[in-house]
Amino acid sequence: MADAATQAKWDKLAPRFDTMASAGAERRWAPAKSALFAEMEGKVLFLALGTGLDIPFFPPGLNITALDISPKMIELAQERIAAYDGKIETHVMDVHDMEFDADSFDMVVTSCTFCSVPRPIEGLKALHRVLRPGGRLLMFEHTGSRWYPFRYMMNLMTLITRRIGPDMNRPTVANVRAAGYRITEVRNVFLDVVKTIKAVKVPT
Amino acid sequence: MDNRTGYVIGDLVANVVLGAIVGLLCWAILGQWWNMWIAMFLMMAIGSFLGLVAFFVTARWLGAMEAMVPMMLTGELTGMVVGMAVPMMPFTALQGLIWGAACGAASMVLIWIANALLRGVTRDGREVIHG
Repeated sequence: MADAATQAKWDKLAPRFDTMASAGAERRWAPAKSALFAEMEGKVLFLALGTGLDIPFFPPGLNITALDISPKMIELAQERIAAYDGKIETHVMDVHDMEFDADSFDMVVTSCTFCSVPRPIEGLKALHRVLRPGGRLLMFEHTGSRWYPFRYMMNLMTLITRRIGPDMNRPTVANVRAAGYRITEVRNVFLDVVKTIKAVKVPT
Repeated sequence: MDNRTGYVIGDLVANVVLGAIVGLLCWAILGQWWNMWIAMFLMMAIGSFLGLVAFFVTARWLGAMEAMVPMMLTGELTGMVVGMAVPMMPFTALQGLIWGAACGAASMVLIWIANALLRGVTRDGREVIHG
């Protein structure tokens, strides 16, 4: 059962999402996203699809299962899904309540997602469950900062942005570690507030 | 520093303009009768807020964090420097503009230096939880 408040928040934002997010941020982040997503392979779970702004960065020919909590977002993503040279199967689903079998994906990929998942460590643990042992987690995320004055700015911004969408000050690297993954690389894209994170589900 | 020329110029121009506006605002609001510390903290807060406003205006062209962080820093730095200067000495509008623009350029240079130091693969990805 999807978190109704979170779903309503993103459904409401969906019609304005491309205006807010695409033009500036996506162009700026294009090189880093392209480099990260070039590593996508095997059976991929992508979270959260949104309006499909990340689809142009996907390597062609993949079989991708994509989730989003917002049906409105997925509706708006259809044109980009149709333009993709591969297969994207979409599901309206909450990361906390995924219906997939355990160990069913080779790779999990996220893009600016864990700034918004209400219970991030639980969400990452849910992804850990569906990822096969030895499978990889690739993340492109914005996070809080360790350094003044950037830390203060992210905390201040979160007071505003939390009402309409994401948090700006999440400790996502620490959350990944707390969810049981082994981190293999953290690469800062801009200061230490935009970064790519690579991790692996350690076989038990 | 982003190595794409459009972003280098865009970031610099946006921050210089914002700094000049905040500097001019310091001149317009403050005077020599103001307590220097009150003036400084007030203009730092106003400058940060204007940085946020400027971010929302320019994000469509300059990106998300890459626009927000420098602009908030420019607002804060200009508010601090010019906010302190106006109560301390006779200050003209032109000085407000020039000092503000210089603060905007300085904060962008600081961001470029910080980014050069921080970007790339980190040693361990440590983060502090919620400041």
